[in-house]
Amino acid sequence: MQRKIDFPHTMWISQHTIRFAFREEISQENFQAVQQFNRFLKKHLQQNLIESVASYHTVTAYLKQTKDSIDINFLQKQWLIMQVATKDNEVISRKLQIPICYDEEFALDMDCVMNYTGLSFEDIKKIHMSKSYSVYLIGFLPGFPYLGDLDKALFVPRLRKPRSSVSASSVGIGGLQTGIYPLDSPGGWNIIGKTPLNLFDIHGKEIFIFSLGDQVQFYEITKQEFYEIKSKGV
Amino acid sequence: MKPLLIVKKQGVYGSLQDKGRYGYREYGIPLSGPMDKVSFQAAQNILNNEKNQTTFEMFIGGFEFEAIDDGIYVLTGAKCRCLLNGVPIEMWKTFQLTKGDVLSIKSVSHGSVVYLTPKGGFQIEPILGSSSCFPLVGEAINEGSILYGKNAEPLHYTRGLYAPFRPIFKSDITVRIFKGPHFELFTEESQQQFLQVAFQFSGGNRMGYYLKGSILKLKKMKDIFSEATQFGTIQVPQNGEPIILMADAQTVGGYPIIATIHEEDLHKVAQMRMFNTIKFVLMEEDVCP
Repeated sequence: MQRKIDFPHTMWISQHTIRFAFREEISQENFQAVQQFNRFLKKHLQQNLIESVASYHTVTAYLKQTKDSIDINFLQKQWLIMQVATKDNEVISRKLQIPICYDEEFALDMDCVMNYTGLSFEDIKKIHMSKSYSVYLIGFLPGFPYLGDLDKALFVPRLRKPRSSVSASSVGIGGLQTGIYPLDSPGGWNIIGKTPLNLFDIHGKEIFIFSLGDQVQFYEITKQEFYEIKSKGV
Repeated sequence: MKPLLIVKKQGVYGSLQDKGRYGYREYGIPLSGPMDKVSFQAAQNILNNEKNQTTFEMFIGGFEFEAIDDGIYVLTGAKCRCLLNGVPIEMWKTFQLTKGDVLSIKSVSHGSVVYLTPKGGFQIEPILGSSSCFPLVGEAINEGSILYGKNAEPLHYTRGLYAPFRPIFKSDITVRIFKGPHFELFTEESQQQFLQVAFQFSGGNRMGYYLKGSILKLKKMKDIFSEATQFGTIQVPQNGEPIILMADAQTVGGYPIIATIHEEDLHKVAQMRMFNTIKFVLMEEDVCP
């Protein structure tokens, strides 16, 4: 049986922006609710919707028309009907496998992470690759995916002093999340590896690798494989 | 595309802008677009341009251009001294540059953002459907940069905005706000101060404007989950001093959001400069039934 998801709390952010909030927590339940509601909004607001941004527990919709154009009661009814009518509301996510090289050339903070967690290099890699992560949020930088939930064993605080430059495609961990830097930029997460993929290519056919709601799992490659993939320019 | 202008002197900051890069915020791509939509739109109207032509947006002047080809332009936005071959010209009114002419944007006396728009708009290869400069990715306009335009229909007469209709840039502004999702997390005292104090502009850029005037405190320290932000979001970092997110702001933020500025008042905010003040007035009915 599918759990029924209550209509989220609704709030006007400005004349053209409306925010829908679920329970304030980071959880798979919320993740499902947010993704489902985001799709629901795209379907029901259609022409009036410029775009929407989903986060851990909110969906924010940017509208073409002003607030008077939205009938919340109608949306609530539609949401209820959809919940009752559709048997399987589970959002099917795209699954992505991302190569990562944990070589010391790239894993700039591996020693710190080992010290802090008390885990061995092998254990850290194994735990980091052990599960598939959800793309909860994209932001901070263009195309930067916030991936969760990281295993509690890998919890490390952010760097005391953020690096002035983290190179693009570096993989970091911070708190209970992991993420990949799409561009060279300052950053405060602990860097434990690097992917040979470009996350983001404005001139490419596929501009972004990740979309909200994707499931991402890492697999290890050697340094040689890293440079092979890199030279093919994926 | 034909080369129109070469940048002879670089000012504080300049960027090409059209109405913005819509449709990619879910991928973390900033919206961008003009800081002062009113002055941007006025330029298009004066030139009889189609709605979304590309302009050159400048902060506090300092730029100098030399014409490589003939073109018709208008200057809108912050009040500044503009010289054509050393002779002052009027803003908000079309003028012609012929090859070799030098246009200088001198000191700005009121406001802070100036727009130079050619008839037909500047031309540049769009990125993700927009000609606006892509923060962190797009190329900056520096000394020696060339601005391209297109062969536009000539204007047979001068067009302009009649003086009484031009915006006035005040040093004290009041803007309408909506309560933010985290308004109630602030102490009663901070909520009141936020709505009473005239905050002073203390610096900023296309990403955010920094304010001073009162230290806003949360009832208790709380980690906020990152969520969507927009041009006009007022967030309060740990130091308690509010920041207004501007046109190039990142799409999500993790600081408490105390309020959001009404879209129609953002052009006033954009034109703030050092020591200008801003007051916030709460809009009613911020929560849906």
